Amino acid sequence: MMGWKVQEHTVYSIFLFIIVALGILLALQFPHNKQMQMLVIVITTFFYVGLGLVHHKENHDLTTKIVIEYALIGGLGMTIVLFFLLGSQ
Amino acid sequence: MKRFLHHLFFPHELNNHRPKLLHYPTLAFFILFFFVTQFVFVKTEANFPMVLGTKTDISTQELLLLTNKERQDNKLTTLVLNDRLSLAAELKGENMFAKNYWAHNAPDGTTPWYFFKQVNYNYIYAGENLARGFTSSKDVVDAWMASLSHRENMLSPNYKDIGFAVIEGNLSGENTTLIVEMFGNTQAIPLAKKQENTHQQIPQTKQETSSSILPSSIVRSPFIDSHAFVLYVAVGTVGIFLFVLIADMVIIERKKIVRVVGHNIDHVIFFTFILVFMLFIQKGMTL
Repeated sequence: MMGWKVQEHTVYSIFLFIIVALGILLALQFPHNKQMQMLVIVITTFFYVGLGLVHHKENHDLTTKIVIEYALIGGLGMTIVLFFLLGSQ
Repeated sequence: MKRFLHHLFFPHELNNHRPKLLHYPTLAFFILFFFVTQFVFVKTEANFPMVLGTKTDISTQELLLLTNKERQDNKLTTLVLNDRLSLAAELKGENMFAKNYWAHNAPDGTTPWYFFKQVNYNYIYAGENLARGFTSSKDVVDAWMASLSHRENMLSPNYKDIGFAVIEGNLSGENTTLIVEMFGNTQAIPLAKKQENTHQQIPQTKQETSSSILPSSIVRSPFIDSHAFVLYVAVGTVGIFLFVLIADMVIIERKKIVRVVGHNIDHVIFFTFILVFMLFIQKGMTL
């Protein structure tokens, strides 16, 4: 049971890693387009939050605190990128 | 101080086995901080550009030098700076700010070739490259060379003349520096194959043009370089969060403490994505 849990977590992390790597590759396709870069960041963040919540839901340990945590971390990531892209003109 | 940093960065009994930096109020504070700071930066840059602004050094001379260096490296003849093309580039840049667009063609259908005609440059071959948001001449030329269609213009044997305009203004609410590069040739090249693409157009009549230096540059050294400041703060913050998340993960795993929190590995992967994005993405745009 424990081994299955570890394997499940690993598969999930690899899946998230692939999504994020695809996000970076997609962002690199628009090296000079802020709007598209922001769009890629928003989409990748939604995938990160969505996957995280689905994973916790499947593990039967999804709580309001965890939802808030993923939302805050995702929100922080997006805000930092927004600051990075628009903070200096 | 040491105790405070320990409380902020590492899990222990007093912070409920979760670094203070990862507590929800702290995360919410950082979101608010970056949101407000970005707003303050934009306003300060607009009102006090000598205090806070992007350090910029873009000049016609350097753009010409770098463009011709690229051509020489590719065994092509160098281009001559042409007053009329520089004026056409200036008119195009002003038109973009006046009509608030970022494109080769204006919303009312005005094409780049209209500006060539406005200055009586009767081209056989003509082309246009655009850039915005860059801070140095080298970055502009590097970005054009990295893009296939712009590179074709830069290295086209059909052109003889070149003109530049480097102008500042507000485009869609954003203060930006526009760089307009116009290529042309008023003489037919023997056996030249006529081409047409986004950046090129063809025939008209022959005409002589003058060629001399028409200086156009933007050099600015504000007290605080917002470009560098934003980069250091954003990258530094993500770096600190990555460190805290990894440290938290290792310490909790070693102590075998059970907590109801999200998976740190997810957050590490996500922040790594943000970090890689910021380190590899360039801020300028070409068209």
